[in-house]
Amino acid sequence: MTDFLQFVFAGSALGARYALVALGFVVIYRATGVINFAQGGLVALGAYIAYHFTDRIGAPFVIAVLAAVAACAIVGVLIQRVVLARMVGQPAFAVIMITIGLLFVIEQLIPTLWGYNSHNLGDPWGIKTVDLAGLTLAERDLWTLAIAAMALGGFFAFFRLSRYGLAMRAVAIDQEAALAQGISVGAVVAVSWAISGMVAALAGVTLSTGATAVSPTISFIALAAFPAMILGGLDSPGGAVIGGLLIGITQTLTAGYQPEHAAWLGDNFHVVMPYVVMIVILMVRPYGLFGVPEVDRA
Amino acid sequence: MRRSRFARLAAAAVLVASLGAAGCGRDDDDNGDKAGTGGEPTATAGFDGTTISLGVLTPLSGPVAVIGQPLTAGNQVWFDKLNAAGGVAGKYKVKLVQRDTRYDAPTAVQGYNRLKDETAAFVQILGTPIIQALLPQITRDGTVAGPATLDSEWVRQPNLTPVGGPYQIQAVNAMDYYLRTEGQGGSKKICGMFQDDPYGEAGAEGIAFAEKELGFKLAASVKFRQGDKDFTGQVTQLKNAGCDAVWLTGLPTEAGTILGTAAQGKFSPRWIAQSPVWVQALSQSPLKDYLEARFWVVSEGPAWGDETVPGMKELIAAKAEYPPKRTVADGDLYFTFGYNQARAMTAVLEKAVENGDLSHEGILKAVQEVGTISFDGLGGDYEYGPIEERNPSRTSSMFAVKASGPFGLEPLETNFASDAAEKYTFE
Amino acid sequence: MSTPAVTDPPAPARSAPLPPRLLRTRTSRVWALVLVGAYVLAPLTVSDFWLSVLAYAGIAAIGAFGLNLLTGYAGQVSLGHAAFIGVGAYAAGWLGADEGLPLPLWLLGAALIGGVLGAVVGPFALRLRGQYLVVVTLGLVFLAEHVFRNWRGLTGGNSGRAIDPPASFGVDFNDFSLGGFAASRAQSWFWLIWALVAVVALIAANLARSRAGRALQAIRDRDLAAELTGVDIARTKVAVFALSSALAALAGALLGAYQEFVSPSEWNLVLSIQYIAIIIVGGLGSVYGPVLGAVFVGSMPRVIEEYSSSIPGVSSGAGDDGVITVFALNQVLFGVLIIGFLIAEPRGLTALARRVAARVNRSSATPARTTDNEEET
Repeated sequence: MTDFLQFVFAGSALGARYALVALGFVVIYRATGVINFAQGGLVALGAYIAYHFTDRIGAPFVIAVLAAVAACAIVGVLIQRVVLARMVGQPAFAVIMITIGLLFVIEQLIPTLWGYNSHNLGDPWGIKTVDLAGLTLAERDLWTLAIAAMALGGFFAFFRLSRYGLAMRAVAIDQEAALAQGISVGAVVAVSWAISGMVAALAGVTLSTGATAVSPTISFIALAAFPAMILGGLDSPGGAVIGGLLIGITQTLTAGYQPEHAAWLGDNFHVVMPYVVMIVILMVRPYGLFGVPEVDRA
Repeated sequence: MRRSRFARLAAAAVLVASLGAAGCGRDDDDNGDKAGTGGEPTATAGFDGTTISLGVLTPLSGPVAVIGQPLTAGNQVWFDKLNAAGGVAGKYKVKLVQRDTRYDAPTAVQGYNRLKDETAAFVQILGTPIIQALLPQITRDGTVAGPATLDSEWVRQPNLTPVGGPYQIQAVNAMDYYLRTEGQGGSKKICGMFQDDPYGEAGAEGIAFAEKELGFKLAASVKFRQGDKDFTGQVTQLKNAGCDAVWLTGLPTEAGTILGTAAQGKFSPRWIAQSPVWVQALSQSPLKDYLEARFWVVSEGPAWGDETVPGMKELIAAKAEYPPKRTVADGDLYFTFGYNQARAMTAVLEKAVENGDLSHEGILKAVQEVGTISFDGLGGDYEYGPIEERNPSRTSSMFAVKASGPFGLEPLETNFASDAAEKYTFE
Repeated sequence: MSTPAVTDPPAPARSAPLPPRLLRTRTSRVWALVLVGAYVLAPLTVSDFWLSVLAYAGIAAIGAFGLNLLTGYAGQVSLGHAAFIGVGAYAAGWLGADEGLPLPLWLLGAALIGGVLGAVVGPFALRLRGQYLVVVTLGLVFLAEHVFRNWRGLTGGNSGRAIDPPASFGVDFNDFSLGGFAASRAQSWFWLIWALVAVVALIAANLARSRAGRALQAIRDRDLAAELTGVDIARTKVAVFALSSALAALAGALLGAYQEFVSPSEWNLVLSIQYIAIIIVGGLGSVYGPVLGAVFVGSMPRVIEEYSSSIPGVSSGAGDDGVITVFALNQVLFGVLIIGFLIAEPRGLTALARRVAARVNRSSATPARTTDNEEET
């Protein structure tokens, strides 16, 4: 039982990271109607910028995190303004491919600037732990959950309460109608990119805490976060959070129990588990758990 | 008529293009008139009469570039030193021609085809899957290549010149060391944690052999995949199995998180890791104390800076005199590996020059005749020759972590060969 | 790019009777002659290096024809192509190397296995629309990789396996000789691969111009309207998915046999993306776009590598000076290429080439310009 709870805790921390990545996907999807494949690149960029501030500049950790969040927000807006603004009205496929092109660019930028070696982020949590009811909880995991909760809470407050949040929802429902209502669609899209950059940076930072965890492979996380996003429904922020936690917990439980109890599934089944869960759910609900079906307009 | 003008233009363009392409390739190799033994080698593929070109096919980018970059720098430092002393046989300078493989087989095949006709041999081809993809062609072409992987499969390949004790030897020696120090009495539970790829499997093979030879049995064995972000499941399995020692094959990024998870979970076995796990950054991470207490690395050769070993003294001098353009950490194990590899290739080339034949065929012949190559203590001697007589190095070195030491390490026992390792037979 | 075979060589002279439209005008006759000439002569003049680049490009073109039918014509975006390419490679290993079947059988067998798998997976995947389909097919790549890594008997597990099937079809492509002339393996495989490219190109071109091809485009552009005019959407989609998978598997079989060794890590997302890039660069839904795209995407990195030493700021070796490695530069250019084409010329190289051709023609002004050798997009 202790093992089980320990797995669930670790899975929640992993899931919180997935949720941050998936939330970035959903925000962009709602604003532009496409999946942003460059999200993984932004996550890695966030981690490296934070590392650059702690290690190369010697800034305090909090400053480094804020700098990473700010920088990724700016990069997000730049991507939108410089590249994607030219793609308005193009088919979704073309825009997706552009984001893939951007991923290639960002993924090369990182080792070009910082090299291929693994580095230490220099976070204050290290390998410290807290004992609670027989469980050993890592501080980095607790803080990951806290940061994710704060970020998600902040996002939902912004999304529900602010004027921009309202505008974002309007744009997601119907761009042209929103435009007719005097909403600046361009500004809304830019804000969406900024938010997506910010949550990406937080995902990157929480992923790269601990020992030698800053490495260019951080961007792989996006591949496991796709199922989290799809699971909840492409356009549902709440769904992204639930999907992320679900995938994270399933994955750690699989890694913990499958080798012993279901060895016939092959080595490292936990790697594909998110996709299996995703496919099973999509077979039942083709638009995810909370997604809105697309309406056919001939 | 009007349209056919365009067609004629196009036809001409295609012809010109094909001639142009013809110009930039198809240098004839293996020209018929081979010099007899003893004479001066005549110009041939990769040798213009004064300079020998050697190929390097290595990942200079992508995740494996952390290995390819310092390894190639090691190749280069050796040849810089050699060239300053006159070159191969005192008169032929060596030039390296590099191609990035990205650790991707199709890219490597194309790179091989690009270089094979303008290089005398390949001093370095990095990565097990890459060599496997190239081996049929290497054998067909009769070229010689130095594999930069410690897989044991290469020992019996006539066209390959591996250096160093294979991973299997490292695993056997490390287990032997553990059992005669901390693990005395044989009551300890030994476990394994393996990266799920050919590199991890080579380590697993060595452990399997050590189990038979040293009479223990793995109490638990878990696997993970490169890119995993959470290892609670695997580490818990090891902890529940009550492991006293865990053999680890992996790469630094995952290793950092694995060891962190173990430390957080109050799981403190004796970690024994294969050399690629280690990077200096680990000794500067929050894991420093944990690692200094619980972590060993197995590799080959002396500690960096141990000038009682003649090879090390030379290596340090060479590195100071011909510094790599991109910084390589003192004690980087791949750097030393690359240096040794270049040294082995030089021995082969000297033999070929002695025979008066630097053609691909002549170099292949030289490999069969070059005999034992010594690395002046930087690694165990390697016996080349006819394939059935080849005998790789059987020695390994154990290191503990010491943050202030060179490369964050401190030697426990260097260049030892266990009886079990001596017995290992390579297929 | 100084390669002679930038456009596909139509069928080699000895193959089946050509559709008459290919030889209808004088221009197309000249073109056909040029391409056949390039096809026959290239291996005799080009270095092994460029032959290997072109061999990989030809293989990619075959796979890209499949993806172009699925994505370019039918508008179904799939990131799962790499999985089917892997299936083809292992099918060649099983049928060709393990069972020792002759070349035509293991090639067709691989295509058949790929097609059947596509037909099995298709109905599930194609229920999903738009971007859900993109991510599910991405999942296919991961699931396939898991199977490839664990099905050790067939795939050799992580370490991979050798694939050395018999390659003779009248002539042995591993050891080809005619009279006193003995061809190298590189030369004979070039001829084999590009002959197959021509066959696949003709099949794809005819299909695209047929009723079925128009049905595909109707699904892409207006699926409800297509259904009203009597197109069975579900069946047509599954059929094109199966065909696309079959061509992917055919490419995989050739890739495995040409490379002689494959390991599971090769069939990854990046490979799928490469194929999508090929059809974008070549021109989505253009008949011969896949060939142009494959040659361009396949040879560009090599060309840049060749001249990297003369590009300032680029390091071509370990420890060279320079701010960016050749590979990083290539990847960045690859990304920029995709972005650039989508923004500036969404119809790809085909449209670009046609515009250049039109300009050349215009300079020798002709009012009665026929369009019979133009391809529809």
